[in-house]
Amino acid sequence: MTRALAILVAAAICAGSAGCETGRAGTPPGVLSVSVEQQSAWIRTFNPLAPGEARWPTRAGIYEPLLVHNPVAGEWVPWLATDWSWSDDLRSLTFDIREGVEWSDGTPMTARDVAFTFELLREVPALDQGGVWSFVDDVTVDGSHVTLRTSRVYVPGLQVVAGVPIVPEHIWSEVDDPLTFTNPNPVATGPFTEVRTFQNQVYELGRNPNYWQDGRPYVEALRFLAYPGNDQANMALVEGTVDWAGNFVPAIDRTFVRRDPDHNKYWFPLVGSTVFLYANTTRAPFDDVRVRRALSLALNRERIVEVAMYDYTVPSSPTGLSDSYRSWRLDDDDVEDWTRHDVAEANALLDAAGLAMGDDGVRRGPDGRPLAFDIDVVSGWSDWVRAAQVIATDLRAVGIRAQVRPAEFSAWFSDLQRGEFELAVSWSNDGPSPYAFYRWLMSPDTVQPVGEISAGNWHRFADDEAQRLLDAFERTADRDAQGELADDLQRRFAETMPAIPLFPNPQWAAYSTRRFEGFPSPDAPYASPSPNALPSALLVLTTLRPRGVE
Amino acid sequence: MKYALRRLGFYLVAALSAIVMNFLIPRLMPGDPASTMFARFQGRLQPEALDALRAAFGFTDAPLHKQFGSYVWHLAQGDLGLSTAYYPATVTEVIGTGLLWTVLLAGVSVLIAFCIGTTLGALAAWKRNGVLDSFAPPALALIGAFPYFWLAMLALYVFGFTLGWFPLRHAHSPDVAPGFSWAFISNVAWHATLPAATIVLASLGGWLLSMRNTMISVLGTDYVGFARARGLEPKRVLVWYAARNALLPNITGFGMALGFVLSGSLLTEIVFSYPGLGYLMVVAVRNQDYPLMQGLFLAITLAVLAANWFVDLAYVWLDPRTRDDG
Repeated sequence: MTRALAILVAAAICAGSAGCETGRAGTPPGVLSVSVEQQSAWIRTFNPLAPGEARWPTRAGIYEPLLVHNPVAGEWVPWLATDWSWSDDLRSLTFDIREGVEWSDGTPMTARDVAFTFELLREVPALDQGGVWSFVDDVTVDGSHVTLRTSRVYVPGLQVVAGVPIVPEHIWSEVDDPLTFTNPNPVATGPFTEVRTFQNQVYELGRNPNYWQDGRPYVEALRFLAYPGNDQANMALVEGTVDWAGNFVPAIDRTFVRRDPDHNKYWFPLVGSTVFLYANTTRAPFDDVRVRRALSLALNRERIVEVAMYDYTVPSSPTGLSDSYRSWRLDDDDVEDWTRHDVAEANALLDAAGLAMGDDGVRRGPDGRPLAFDIDVVSGWSDWVRAAQVIATDLRAVGIRAQVRPAEFSAWFSDLQRGEFELAVSWSNDGPSPYAFYRWLMSPDTVQPVGEISAGNWHRFADDEAQRLLDAFERTADRDAQGELADDLQRRFAETMPAIPLFPNPQWAAYSTRRFEGFPSPDAPYASPSPNALPSALLVLTTLRPRGVE
Repeated sequence: MKYALRRLGFYLVAALSAIVMNFLIPRLMPGDPASTMFARFQGRLQPEALDALRAAFGFTDAPLHKQFGSYVWHLAQGDLGLSTAYYPATVTEVIGTGLLWTVLLAGVSVLIAFCIGTTLGALAAWKRNGVLDSFAPPALALIGAFPYFWLAMLALYVFGFTLGWFPLRHAHSPDVAPGFSWAFISNVAWHATLPAATIVLASLGGWLLSMRNTMISVLGTDYVGFARARGLEPKRVLVWYAARNALLPNITGFGMALGFVLSGSLLTEIVFSYPGLGYLMVVAVRNQDYPLMQGLFLAITLAVLAANWFVDLAYVWLDPRTRDDG
């Protein structure tokens, strides 16, 4: 009955209509269907400088930076700049701008455009998301060279400057308010600049006719269908509507790979930010390094990654560094191994810290009060909630009555930023070198008083020795010297144990090689395979080829 | 007439207080949109960006009365501001992506469910303990009691994914150009069938039961008995004597439902990847996008008030007592 009715309805509606092909919309050949952003409808914004979420290709295929950082190889790839160099006193940074690059409207791209972009950030500070002008004094152009003079020696500033998307002077100098400019028809240097169609639930970007890399991109166009959530995006991936996806897929071997093992692939490199258990070091007993160490040793990280992350990741290194710092990271044997699971030692440390075990199996503080703490997590971030549940169980096993306290995101984040929490699960900061990572974990410069908003260092830990190393790191451009400082930073981290690393986040990437080939893989790790990695996605988009095209 | 005007005055007062509430409530929530947006990058954005974000969103620590002044001033000019979640798009543009689809899908579904449910309810009560009366109310109540999300997922899985009769997502196929063509309109209708069917199915029971129950008590009144005794045609008694009076509570419910159409049907939109206001509302709340929230609440409030006013007018037509009263 229902079946007959449904056919009847469908037939009645479809009578004489061209629009009623089967439910599986075929993507035209050469058009790469990408699923990254989750939205129910698209808003046409392609402003690369304004804060907020411009459509994903804005910084991944439309506008390009001077250098592209490849998190998998941990190196800089020259892009709109062919080379860069620091002056001897490390007070000025010079970029050689690539010759022969044209904007998509045919106008040549020059060093003037680069300088204009930086000047624009100075005029409109709200566009300066990386904080370029917090350490740059002025920008000068000399032929094809652009030189930024800095107000102090600050070598990690390279990553801030190199990542700024470059915009054309001849367009943007006419824009009234670059902050609220939605830029519906972008003129840019990237591989995909032509908006072929823009509808409520689908848009397509065509090839840049004047792209500077001869013959590239090989893909004719990018197509974006709107999926409001993970389930919808995954269904599209599984039925083959999506070629390249950056969303989390549960049980991917069974749900995705098994449907077409020859073509359906995934690679989840562990280059995302490391997830930490933060203990508020302004509160006893977390101000005691022995207690923080005991907390770490009490945790069964194997179980955490199994329960919370479906074994898509591994327990964190004792340095806290993810795989994106592989070239910097010390071997586990070279640092104090405080991320292993050792309940006996954890108990011994807690005893030594004067937190004696009570008759009820709960330890007491020096004031005689039982040790009971809340672990703050965001309700609905189910992976972290599960991680926190395992942590709570592990801590109860060493006599700490820990309870998971899920809260709505803003309330959770507000408490975290103000330092008004006991234990919390959260992310850590990332950058091309371990500098930013450790700065926001240990630097006294990043500590705010409790009650005031702090963008990082929520656990409020300050170490002068770490600061000395960080300062030295800021003042050397020599990779070997930086490497030695990074080694010292890692050892210092493992000694002072400011926060407890749990596991590195994977970057989600699933793709089908049925229609396109050339995706990054463990065998060909030329870039991060995830479309979420910006602007490294540029490396992928300029490499992919439709199948059967040489 | 006087009655209708008096009601109109009441709605104006309600609208004004709604505007004040609309302004105040989001500002009493903890957190701010800049840090929420910052947090979405989970470590990929350097903390320095927070200042840039705050500056861009005009995050003022201005006193509330000043903020309220500029809010009302912009509202009067029809300017709802810039959405922070979809920055730098305007709230009007963002709401525009969902408004028509919500009105279409949720509006049509409510209308269909109301008409079918009320008719079935009236018939069930008329032929009490007949076949319809024995099966429809319990069956529909059972379906209505299922979690809607589950019902929608099941429909999508069976009729969309497994059988392939209906599209899996979206309001129309990506390859059909929007316009007043048969190809487009039929494509839209085809895409709306499954989502609309699930909404109708899930809400049918409510209309049916309330109509049936009121109908039964109306059928027991003296004037219906008198009409029957006079030997009036049964159909005439059913429609003009019983149903017309039994309809009143359902009309009130219909007005409420119609007004709330604009709040969208979040679960339908998510399951069927359908554009609409429900999803935008969630985005706005999640990102503390006050301007978008205010825009949506304003639209919903005005729609509820307008729908209620129309219900009042319908009462004047259906129920002579409201006319004498004035």
